[in-house]
Amino acid sequence: MGKVARQVVEQAGVNVDVLLDKLIRAAGAEFTTFYYYTILRVNAIGFDGEGLKEIIEDARIEDRNHFEALTPRIYELGGALPRDIRGFADIAGCPDAYLPQNPRDIKAMLNVLVEAERCAVRTYTEICNMTFGKDYRTFELALAILHEEVEHEAWFSEYLGEGPSGHFRRGAPGDSPYVKRFMTADFK
Amino acid sequence: MPFVKVARAEDIPPRRTKFLHVGGKPVILANFSGRIYATFGLCPHQNNPLEGATMWDNLIDCPFHHFQYDVTTGENHFPGNVYPKDDERLLAQLRPLKTYSVELRNGEVWVDLE
Repeated sequence: MGKVARQVVEQAGVNVDVLLDKLIRAAGAEFTTFYYYTILRVNAIGFDGEGLKEIIEDARIEDRNHFEALTPRIYELGGALPRDIRGFADIAGCPDAYLPQNPRDIKAMLNVLVEAERCAVRTYTEICNMTFGKDYRTFELALAILHEEVEHEAWFSEYLGEGPSGHFRRGAPGDSPYVKRFMTADFK
Repeated sequence: MPFVKVARAEDIPPRRTKFLHVGGKPVILANFSGRIYATFGLCPHQNNPLEGATMWDNLIDCPFHHFQYDVTTGENHFPGNVYPKDDERLLAQLRPLKTYSVELRNGEVWVDLE
């Protein structure tokens, strides 16, 4: 824990315990989403599914990256991940992204994916609103994640024909163009 | 139970919510399109308080797990719209939010908590 790192945030008027609760829930949602997206990805097959598979993989790896990037900040602020992974899954801040009843229903799978991303967009918008102008480091991190979640939503939303966004998928799988600067151990 | 006065309408601007206790019962008020709705104040998913819940159109969004409910009916919207329909354990998480009748009287919000 960074003593002054937490103190400056408290003195700026942020309730750090509430913020930590949101960050840990967000990290839980990223971790569980990584798991569920793995199942969705392997089931994305056939004429429609194979095209979707690479986009799921980008979002899957980047969600794992978000978990990696959030974790140090949680400990810097004096928080901790739950010791029991079952408890961690239970407090995840977004519902689990289950494989649809019919795994061959690609539209149903897309709805699972787009709703999961929308939940993430709301989550990080809340954290940005809470930390804006007060906790610069958490704000920058949450904003970087938000950028990627918004793009994930756009990818899946376009697949559902909800309108163009101008985004395109990554050059390399799970490249995390916004978040990788917070992952100094993983990216060169 | 008769209607009880719980707030002033001006305290709940459009797209906002207000969490309060009425006679020990948690209640949340929500303004959707200029009309005020009242529901039980705990999310049926895990009984967490809806204090600080945000509004997205007609949906109230629980701050804990982002379960969403239609304030006009109390029905779960998300994740009910994507959860598989063949899993009883998951379906049990989608209990509706209890709604209450609301009347506006001279700018005051009255709720029937029956």
